[in-house]
Amino acid sequence: MMIDKNKGLPEEILNLPESSFEMVQTDEIKDEKFKTKPIGFFKDALLRLQHSKISIISFWIILSIIILALIVPNITGFTYTEQDLAKRNLPPKIPGLENIGIADGSRVLTNRKKDSLSDTNRYPEGSIIEIVREYESKGVAMVDVKVDAYALAGIEDDVYHWFGTDYLGRDLMTRLFKGVRISLIIAFFSVITNVIIGVIYGSICGYYGGKVDMFLTHFAEVLDGMPYIVITILFMILLGSGMLSIILALCITGWIGTARLIRAQFYRFKGREYVLAARTLGVPDVKLIFRHILPNCIGPLITRAMIAIPGAIFSESFLAYIGLGIKPPEPSIGILLSDGQSVLLQYPYQTLFPAILISVLMIAFNLFSNGLRDALDPTRRGEE
Amino acid sequence: MAEESNYILEVKHLCQHFSSGRGKNKLLVKAVDDVSFGVRPAETFGLVGESGCGKTTTGRTIIRLYNPTSGEMYFNGRDIAGPMTKDLRRYLTDNIAMIFQDPIESLNPRMTIEEIVGEGLRIRGMKDKDEVRARVHEMLEKVGLTEEHATRYPHEFSGGQRQRIGIARAMIIKPKMIIADEPVSALDVSIQAQVINLLNDLKEEMGLTILFIAHNLSVVKYFSDRIGVMYYGRLVEIARGDDLYRCPLHPYTKALLSAIPEPNPITERTRKRIDYDPERDHDYSVEKPTMVEVAPEHFVYCSPSELEQYQKQLGL
Repeated sequence: MMIDKNKGLPEEILNLPESSFEMVQTDEIKDEKFKTKPIGFFKDALLRLQHSKISIISFWIILSIIILALIVPNITGFTYTEQDLAKRNLPPKIPGLENIGIADGSRVLTNRKKDSLSDTNRYPEGSIIEIVREYESKGVAMVDVKVDAYALAGIEDDVYHWFGTDYLGRDLMTRLFKGVRISLIIAFFSVITNVIIGVIYGSICGYYGGKVDMFLTHFAEVLDGMPYIVITILFMILLGSGMLSIILALCITGWIGTARLIRAQFYRFKGREYVLAARTLGVPDVKLIFRHILPNCIGPLITRAMIAIPGAIFSESFLAYIGLGIKPPEPSIGILLSDGQSVLLQYPYQTLFPAILISVLMIAFNLFSNGLRDALDPTRRGEE
Repeated sequence: MAEESNYILEVKHLCQHFSSGRGKNKLLVKAVDDVSFGVRPAETFGLVGESGCGKTTTGRTIIRLYNPTSGEMYFNGRDIAGPMTKDLRRYLTDNIAMIFQDPIESLNPRMTIEEIVGEGLRIRGMKDKDEVRARVHEMLEKVGLTEEHATRYPHEFSGGQRQRIGIARAMIIKPKMIIADEPVSALDVSIQAQVINLLNDLKEEMGLTILFIAHNLSVVKYFSDRIGVMYYGRLVEIARGDDLYRCPLHPYTKALLSAIPEPNPITERTRKRIDYDPERDHDYSVEKPTMVEVAPEHFVYCSPSELEQYQKQLGL
């Protein structure tokens, strides 16, 4: 069968001489240089991170909290174990702010007999600031009175507890930042351990697949099914209550999520053409895993690790709350919160400061990790 | 087949079956089923067929991205279908390189061009960074890019440029053979010509053998010395490029050729599309089909009665 494609065409088109054709493109291909400057991967990421105002703010917040945690416990003039029962449950008193009526170390005492106010043993001179309300109850004159708690406790004027004191008279600011230090150490260590175990485990699952994957995934599933409170208690019995058992307790199941994430990423990327291309070049398995596939997981991995840090702080707080925390008198945010919540109505500031700090820390970590993820993904360039 | 010793790559009765599920739900897909062909040194062998007919799988099985279910494969006389040893992997990756279809997918977005192109050298033990860099720059020049491009990431390049980077990556290890898996089907037409011409130049310069996998018949015709037509995991016709276009024998080949648009508005208007329905076009209930050489260098998958008919058509 002959296919004649030229039938019906006019003669002059059929017999066009070759000279009337002209090559549109010459054989030599030569590309222009790019006009922009080349930049490396991490420099590029940094540049993009700097464009995100929220990330920058979060970063500075995290950094300042860390710096505060490092220096504050050493410069307040109190130690985190120093007890003074005379000074217990003092309200916050901050130099400068006291003159405008905030954090001036005052407290309102309710239901006091009016007569007792003149008793200088109970109310030393200068301790009563003002009478808020006067009323009569069962024929007795009663008052609600605003007092200077510091003067009432017989403390000199130049002593300042910025965040107040707790039920044993320990300075709360010292304890709070000491607690942040301990909580952050626990969080960083448990997250780093989780990431390392999770990455290796997940990589093996995802890369090799098949029976290896099935066995390892089921093993993780079984581990995940164990109640971790029980495991934590076992660790406490075995190792005593301390930082190590908390870190171990947070690690025992914490890596499973990371492993699942990495496994899913491997399934997503191992069939990509560039991975196949690397295989056809003879790239060995280890290099394929760490050089070609894993860098693609960096974004979700960093986000996850960053979110896991406040998560770990929360878990630690929860354990402290149910009495499985680190050994007293060591403070942690969780212990301060659980101490504070028992006197929440009388002394709300004891809960307020740790609560504000943990919230700020959590929000800052989340926002910063989001910014970091976007910055580390070169394909998202120009999307913002 | 004749001239067996002349083949650089020889594939005999290659089968590649994929199964999924087990027991009652077991599903067997015969992606490549009893495929045999040979490729001569310094020739371009085109493999065409519709989507999903097993062209890509054939290519990937040859370079052992998949383990073949059965069949034999020889490269330069050496068996490359056997169990995967370090030695064989090395032999394969040194001699055969692959160019992939999708220029976006086939370059690692996290690596610079220098890392991507130079990787083949580095894993072959070239430690000296300056030497690698020099070779990468030389290769980039060859494919029409500049030295300055080496420090860039893939997302900064256009599709055609990326495909040329893919070619540079494959060529830098100086392979004897290239498996080009639809290297131009993701590019627009003007860039297709550019990439094809580049491949052609490099082929002549380096004396390469190319297994060219494509579904675009006009590209294959322009580029290939011999062409194999695949349908449903089987090779149905192998012929020299000109022969195949002038006198296609197998009904599927005719159907494929009839689908090419013609650059002639008068005939294009009346161009008839030929349908191919294996149930209707073949009657294999009595006679079993085999691969037969109908004319010199022209093989068709047919039954004896069809063979007679084909020979009549060719006027033999």
